[in-house]
Parts: sequence; structure tokens; C-alpha cells
Amino acid sequence: MSQAVRGISAPFATLGAAFLGFVGELGALAIFFLDSLRLVFAGWGQFAKIIRQIYFIGVQSISVIALIGGFAGMVMGMQLYFALSIFGADGFLGAGVGLSMVRELAPVLTAIMLAGRAGSAMTAEIGVMRISEQIDALTIMDINPMRYLVAPKMAACIISFPILTTFFNLIAISGGWLTGVKLLGANEGVYWSRVQESLSWSDIEGGLIKSLVFACIVCTICCFEGYFTHTRKGHVGPEGVSQSTTSAVVKACVVTLASDYILTSILW
Amino acid sequence: MTKAPGIRTQNLSIGYGGVPVASDLDLQMPAGKVTVVVGGSGCGKSTLIKHILRLHDPIEGRVFVGDHEVHSLSGKAARCFKQRMGVLFQDGALLGSLTIADNLALPLREHTRLKDPEILEIVRNKLQLVGLEGTDAKYPTELSGGMRKRAGLARALVMDPQVLFCDEPTSGLDPILSAELDHLLLEMMSHFDMTMIVVSHDLASMRAIADHVVLLGDGRCLFQGSVEELDASEDVYLRRFLDRLPEERTTPRLTMPALDPSKLKIDCSRLLD
Repeated sequence: MSQAVRGISAPFATLGAAFLGFVGELGALAIFFLDSLRLVFAGWGQFAKIIRQIYFIGVQSISVIALIGGFAGMVMGMQLYFALSIFGADGFLGAGVGLSMVRELAPVLTAIMLAGRAGSAMTAEIGVMRISEQIDALTIMDINPMRYLVAPKMAACIISFPILTTFFNLIAISGGWLTGVKLLGANEGVYWSRVQESLSWSDIEGGLIKSLVFACIVCTICCFEGYFTHTRKGHVGPEGVSQSTTSAVVKACVVTLASDYILTSILW
Repeated sequence: MTKAPGIRTQNLSIGYGGVPVASDLDLQMPAGKVTVVVGGSGCGKSTLIKHILRLHDPIEGRVFVGDHEVHSLSGKAARCFKQRMGVLFQDGALLGSLTIADNLALPLREHTRLKDPEILEIVRNKLQLVGLEGTDAKYPTELSGGMRKRAGLARALVMDPQVLFCDEPTSGLDPILSAELDHLLLEMMSHFDMTMIVVSHDLASMRAIADHVVLLGDGRCLFQGSVEELDASEDVYLRRFLDRLPEERTTPRLTMPALDPSKLKIDCSRLLD
């Protein structure tokens, strides 16, 4: 091949290699997700591990979710009140806060918070186990590491995310009431009746479907990054684990937001 | 007559991602004996163990444990194979989230129908065997390096394996602890009918425990035989390895006279306060 042809084809070759790498990783992620989902139901022994993970991912995240939900609702209540007052439509404050929280902000912010709090811990835990040969030890003992480590986390995420999203909704709508009604003077009865009227079952269902999808995304990406931390090029040992943890949180947040757009387009 | 299987490899090439670390390995590790695999850093000692244990597939060649070709096993046969193997990893590789007792109990809970009191009895016995009575409720991080290795050894023995692999058992231990661990390994050999494969670059440890020695270097097997045969060898590399002589360089060695000594020192006036 001549120098000129090589020069012209080089960018395409780089692009092609990057695309093939992306498709390969996407395939590996899909297999990883399906494998962990299948192993959730691998015997009663999983039950205790799932409960422990629900405690870590779900129960221990309640305070953070309450804090974020409260402030998100308060900001939303304040901003919407000012915007709606311009048009004399502050009576729609409850509808605005309710719909934006239930359809969008609660599932997305819950997923992002959990990616940061629990997802990073999952990546670091599995990554450290990988570099300290603990995963090899499990394999040698004929204990499937996917079943032992990843499947309980997947089950716990699938159970915890929708519950925490619902909790976020309750706190955020109350936060909107606190600023909109108690601080700025919107009518309390109108606020709550608008919340009730504007929210249909399809809105709540859509929000919960989103939270389920986000649970799978966050758990798969975070566990995958930790599990294959030893294959990172140029970063080995503890440095590799820290790189994997950063990468897992960033990827989980980006994919969550991208899939939120797709899900919103499909659901409503 | 021992029931423990011997291990042999046939034209084995080991490595990662298709890049060989060592090739053409035709090794014999006799049944019921201690084989010590020695060699310089990065020569493929630990990689060899990982290939024998099916953690990696070989680039070429075959591994036999007894009459079974390891990499062709599947289903129940593969599971049986793993349960017959015990491994002491370099730093113990104990699960950090479990207590020592739970670490030892894990394979028993996963692979047997034993009730919890029976499991705890076995766990206590194995801990006593390695001199770690009373550490049941401790976590791995609460133990010293030597104790973690012994706990790792107890876990490796908990399923009564037929083959025990030890990856650098004496690395990071002082000479007294190293000698104690060697003694413990030999005691285990006398208690259990098993084949032991030890990876090490501790020559004193090798002399203390080896029935059979495999020496890897330059991407191949340089020697296999008894310690006496190894000592009698006139091979240049073997002599250099055994006598701990540095490799002769083709490039000139960096010597003090070649350097300006003042450039080796830090000017104290330039240190931060």
C-alpha cells in the first residue's frame, strides 16, 4: 500500500477500530447483564446476599435521597412559582412540580445519586477483589463470581431503585409545597389538588419503568467496570481500580441521561 | 499407594492475549510429591499455575491432571476438577467482607449438604491444624501477613484437595516465619494424601520442601529433576541462579567513576523549608 493511500485510510481505520471496540464492549455489557439477571434466581442462598445488598444500596441511601429530593423539590417549587406568577398561573404549581418530578427528575436524579454513592462502591469493591485475586479464589473454589458478587447487586438495584424513586417523589413534592405554599404563599388546597389531578397512572408507571431501566444500567456498568478492571490498558493495581471507579460513574450517568431521552420519547 | 494425581504438560505454551510467556513446556510433576517451580521474576511461574487451574486457556498444548486433560473438561467433570484443587494465593486472597471462619466455611456451604455445626467443626479443625485457633471471628485485615497466609492455607485445605497449589507462600515473610510455613507445608503433606505444587523464588524454601524441582527461564523449562540433580548441574544459567550471581551485561555497567558524584547528591540549600 502506498504512503498516500495509507495516509488517506488512516483516519477511517482509526474510526473503524474505535467503532468495533465500542460495539464489542456493548455486546460484552449485554452478555454481562443477561448473565447476572439469570443468576439472580440461582438458589435460596442468594436471598441473604440480596437482603444485605438492599440494605447497602437502598436503606443506606435513604438520607441522601431525602436530602437531594427535598432540595430539588424546593428549588422547583420556587422557580416554577416565579415563572407561573408572571402569567397569573401559580395555581398550576402543583401540576408542574408533580409532573416534572414523577416523569423526569425523580428517576434521573435518584439514578445519578445512586451511581455516585452505591455504584462507585460496587466498582471499587469488585475491582479490589479482582486485583487481590479474590475473584480467582472464588473461581478456583468453583463459586461463580457472577452469581456470588454481581447477581445480588443486580437484584438489589432492581428492587431499591423504584422504591427510592417513589420516596424521592414524595419528598420532592413536599419540598415544592414547602417553598411554593408555605414560603411564597401559593394556595395549599389548589397545590395538592393540582398534584392529584395532573398525575395519571401512566405518569407514575412511566417513572417507575425508567427507574427499573436505570437500575439495570447503573448496576451493569458499575459491576462490569470493576469486574474487568485488570484488563484496563496502562492502569494496573490500585490505580486501575480508581480509574475504573471514575469511568463507571461517568459512563453510568451519561448512559442514564441518554436513555432517559429515548425512554421519554417512547413512553409519552 | 497414593490416590493423589500427578500433573504433566505436553508441548504447553502459556501466556496472555496470545503472547507467550513460556513455550514448549513438557513438565512432569509426580503424584504425592512436592514439586517446586522456581525461576526469575516474570518467567511464568504463577502463569503456569493459572493455566493448570483453568483460569486461562493455553496458547498451545495440553495439561493432564491424572488421566484427565484439564482444558477439555466440561460440566460436572469440570466442577469435580475444581473441587479437587486447593490454592494458597500469594496474599491469601481471603474475602475481605467475611470473617476467617466464614472464609473457610464458604466452599463447604456452597458444595456440601453439611449442617452448620458440622461445618463449624471442620473449620475449627482446619484452623487448629495451621495454628490459628481463636481467630474464627476475626476479619482478614485484622491478621498479620503470616497469619493471613496460614488462614489461606486452611481455606485451601478445607475441601481436602488432592492437589495443593501454593503461589509464593514465603514471599514477604521473615526467615523464621518462612521456615515455619515450610514446616507447616511438609506437615500437611504428611497428614494428607496429596500432590503439592509450590511456586517460589526462595531457594532456601525450595531446598527445605522440594522432592522435585522445575526451573523456568528464558521462556522455557531449563531444568526438571531432584534438588540433588539441580545442585550437580554445570549449566551456566542454573549455576548463576543457584549461586545468586547477577547476569553478565552486554552494555557497560553503570559505575561510580563514570558519573560526577556531585550530580548524585541533592543540594540541601534547595530543599523546601
